[in-house]
Order: sequence, then structure tokens, then C-alpha cells
Amino acid sequence: MKEREYPRARVDCLTRDFGDELLVYDQQRNVGHCLNPAAAAAWKLCDGKKSTSEVAEILTQQLSTPVSESVVHLALDELSKARLLVDAKHPVRRTSRRHAIRALGIAGAIALPLVTSLVAPTPARAASCLANGKPCVSAAQCCSGKCGVTSGHCGG
Amino acid sequence: MKKLDRLGWAEGVAVRTFGVHAGVRLSVAGSLPQVLPMLPPGFTKSRKATVQRLYSLVVAEGNQRAGVRRMHILYADSLRIARDTELQQVLAALETDLHRYVSEASPDMTFLHAGVVGWRGRAILLPGHSLSGKTTLVREMLRLGATYYSDEFAVVDNSGNVHPFPRPLGIREDSTYAQTKYTPEMLGAASGVKPLPLGAVVLCKYKAGARWRPASLSHGQGVLELIANSIAVRNRPQQTLQRIQKLVKGAIFVKGTRGEAHESAESILNLLHGSSRGEKV
Repeated sequence: MKEREYPRARVDCLTRDFGDELLVYDQQRNVGHCLNPAAAAAWKLCDGKKSTSEVAEILTQQLSTPVSESVVHLALDELSKARLLVDAKHPVRRTSRRHAIRALGIAGAIALPLVTSLVAPTPARAASCLANGKPCVSAAQCCSGKCGVTSGHCGG
Repeated sequence: MKKLDRLGWAEGVAVRTFGVHAGVRLSVAGSLPQVLPMLPPGFTKSRKATVQRLYSLVVAEGNQRAGVRRMHILYADSLRIARDTELQQVLAALETDLHRYVSEASPDMTFLHAGVVGWRGRAILLPGHSLSGKTTLVREMLRLGATYYSDEFAVVDNSGNVHPFPRPLGIREDSTYAQTKYTPEMLGAASGVKPLPLGAVVLCKYKAGARWRPASLSHGQGVLELIANSIAVRNRPQQTLQRIQKLVKGAIFVKGTRGEAHESAESILNLLHGSSRGEKV
């Protein structure tokens, strides 16, 4: 498998800065991602022109802590899993979090990249609704969107 | 829709609420006073000839007889969404559907699923899904002097301020799902009128016997939780993120497991003058 040497971030996502963190909303998949400062910095550097070693060098300056290439690979792994890189079907070089911590040392663990993801709810899911088995008269009342005609209970 | 239009409609009302125009028409005169409490709080009557969503309520007439079930039927536009022999059940379905429609379609506001109280000039948001204990916590904070904003929606404007959506609190008195409605006044509290800037977002889960020891959350993580409770983020992600970004400026986020509401409510209210961002509270 070809290894990703010049990673490229997707540009079709909505982004918002919250301090050093970055919130990325993937409109195609309706998934929100919170990138911690290290992951955010790495993602912003993925322009398809910089190599992983160049990204590591720049991150070292930006985060004021030594960032090795294995940490960059960990970031790419996280970003790839969140499908925030172009061509994410090509696997990046797998680096374990433990290996990265060992490379960074405990003090440098703050530079560990982390991506937290969450699927955006449908309107029915986001609002108050009845669980399956609860009595209902309308599908809009049920979380499942189904109110049984004969049973009169959510879920059918 | 044409078939529905051909039925005889005795009375109706068109309203504007949070930038959404909706209407309700009824087959029997005299039922409107029962419908009005189901409309979103703060609605104004509208004279607009067309509405975005039209509800048609066919009210069953005559006495119920053995072998004949007379149904009250509710349509949203041309789709039948509820029918039942109990009018109150159908009116509850109207309330659910209309509130949800407004929360989804409002161009002026972003709706987040959350309980909201006002405290010391700031709003405290309690996002959470159904049965997460939002109303119980809101009720407890009202008892301690907070102002009621909502037990269902945090309504956020373009400047990031939180508006009231003071529908009566739906309190479950026992283990069943049935709710009893209480106005804040019945609980000895006042409803908020002015939009408020956000003070704190409290993410909590109820667990019997748990002690409330929340940890602070980063803004990014907190916003992700707000997105999980945002009604229209799929339809209007850009607008939602813009408003949430303004909403959370200067706010604190905490997350934890709570036990009984009276044990955590006071500590939550104290957040607004007892801690600063990044501290363990």
C-alpha cells in the first residue's frame, strides 16, 4: 500500500476556531469533530505539499515542544479515521498512542493529537421524544419516528 | 390537500413565531381555546394569507357509542399525523409537531434541546435528551430563585443571546411517562423576558446516589455536545455553528454525574460566581 507522505486536508468541511481547538463539521456525513490543539495544528498543515517530516518540524515550533514524525503519523491516523483527509482510503502508517507518548515523554503528552467525533442528530432525535414502547398517537412523538397504528405505542 | 380543503372548516388561527408562519384550522367551532395553549410561547397572531405549515384538526362530534369509535384526526399539511378518541392526546401531538417544526424551520433562531434558567443576568443551559432529568433540575433551580426560560429549548439569536421559550414545565410525577403541566408561576417562579448572554453549560447525567463533582470541559468539547443537541444542524450547519460560536463566548462548560437534583442545583447556580474556566469545580 502506498504510504501517505504528503497528506492533504479536506477543504469541503465547515470549521470554527475555539481557542486552540478546532471544530470541524463534515456536511457530507453530518459528523462534528473536535480537534485538540495538536490535531488542529497538524490538520491545518496538511496542504498536500508538506511531507510528514516537514509537518513535524513546524509543529515543534508551533507547539513549543519536540514533535517527532511518529506523533505526526498518529495525528494523520486520527484525522484519517475521522475522514478529514483527502483520499482517506489509503491507510496512513499506524502509530500507537503508547509509542507516541514514549517518544514525547510525559511532559510532551500535551502535544498528542486527539480527534473527538460525534454524529449530528436528526431533528427528531435532538428534540424531546418518547422511547419505544411508550403510548403515542403520532409518529412525531416517538424517537424512532414510528407510532404503531394498531398498538398505539412507539416503535410499532 | 384539496380533499382536506373541501371539508368544512369552522374556525382557525394563523400565527407567527420565531419567524415561522403556521396555521391551525378546526372542523368544529368553539375548540380554539383548547388549541391556543398548545402553540409555541410568545406567538403573535398573523394576518398572512399563506402559512408554511397548516394543521387541520377534525374534531369528532357526537357522543361515543358502543361499537363506534369517533376519532379526532390531525393533519399536518396533507399528512395525517395523529388520531385518537381523546382530544387531549391529539392536541398533545399537535404541540409536539408544531414545536418541532418551529425549532427546525426558524430562520431567526437556532434551537438547542436544553433546559434553561436565568441566574444573575446570565443563562445556564442544561442540554440533554429526553428523560435525562432536565426538567427536574430546572424545577429545583427555580425553587432556589432562578428565572424560568425553558425546559425544552435554548433559543439562540444571531448575537448569541438566549431567548425564553417558557412553555409550561412537563413534570413526571411518577415512574410513568405521563406529564403534568406546571407554569413557572405555579411553582412560585418567574418567567424570563429578556434575552440573556450565556453563563454556563452544564452537561449532567442522573445516577441514583451519585455525588455531583463536575469537571470542566474545553470549549471545543463543549460545543461538540451542543451540536449533539442542536435541532437544525443538519439543515443549516453554517448558521448553527456561527450562532453557537457567539453563544459560548465567555461561558464555562462542566460535565458530571449528578444524584438528586436538590444536591446539585445549588452548586450549579454557584458556578456563575464561584469558578473560572479551566478550574476543577
